[in-house]
Amino acid sequence: MSISYNDVGESLRRITISGRLDMPGTDAVASKLAELVTAPKKGVVVDLSALQFLASIGIRALITSAKTVQQRGGKMVLVVEGSSSVLMSLEATGVDQLVPVFRNTADAERAAIA
Amino acid sequence: MPRGRQSPDAAARAGGPALSGTDELTVSASGAEARRASEWLDAACRRLDVPPALVERLALCLHEVLANVIVHGGSAARVAPVTLVLEVNRGRNSSEASVTVSDAGAAFNPLAVPERRLPKTLGEASAGGLGLVMIRRCSDRLDYRYEDGRNHLTFGARWSVQ
Repeated sequence: MSISYNDVGESLRRITISGRLDMPGTDAVASKLAELVTAPKKGVVVDLSALQFLASIGIRALITSAKTVQQRGGKMVLVVEGSSSVLMSLEATGVDQLVPVFRNTADAERAAIA
Repeated sequence: MPRGRQSPDAAARAGGPALSGTDELTVSASGAEARRASEWLDAACRRLDVPPALVERLALCLHEVLANVIVHGGSAARVAPVTLVLEVNRGRNSSEASVTVSDAGAAFNPLAVPERRLPKTLGEASAGGLGLVMIRRCSDRLDYRYEDGRNHLTFGARWSVQ
């Protein structure tokens, strides 16, 4: 389970999460994710393309993060592999309709700072 | 990786394609054990030739059911073992893989919980209750019974036989 980030200019932060966002995995990264999304960046891209599993506890962490970004006037988007079980989790819970989902990083970054 | 009791069918024992089979595992109610359960399910389903897309759906359901046991089952659920039984039944036209989770926690019938409307905006989204949404949407069959002081919840996924 890992979480990392890099800032792209003044307005964009890219956060990458890999591994499994199940109970132990989410416990391991949730506080770091919450901390990273508080940065005063206009756009936040959370790259989940290397994530293998997304449970409801992980989705909760993503929703909370997206709300934090929205409340300070920013926008959070996700990058997800098109055929992954991660996309299935987002679609099953309807979260793909609340937090924009992209298949590639370039499109996601454009949308996050638009 | 630890494995539970297995009962492959005669064809599988003879090296042919599996027709049906079962596998069992006992875990305790904890996050680490939920991950072990997921690994067991993946290995058992591969052995029984369950299509990978269905395994992913069953794995999500299993995680969410165990999460409910851990969070809402109370102290009884945390002390007594949780039993998992995988059954694969192959028919002429369709097949089903199902998992029954049996726990000694507080009685809870998820089928009695009204289905919630999905939020339309991020502002409406609530952080709770998503597990049950996932279980309902990722399974083709849900059965529940409370017997001998234990919850028995079965979720299944079906596929057509070509």
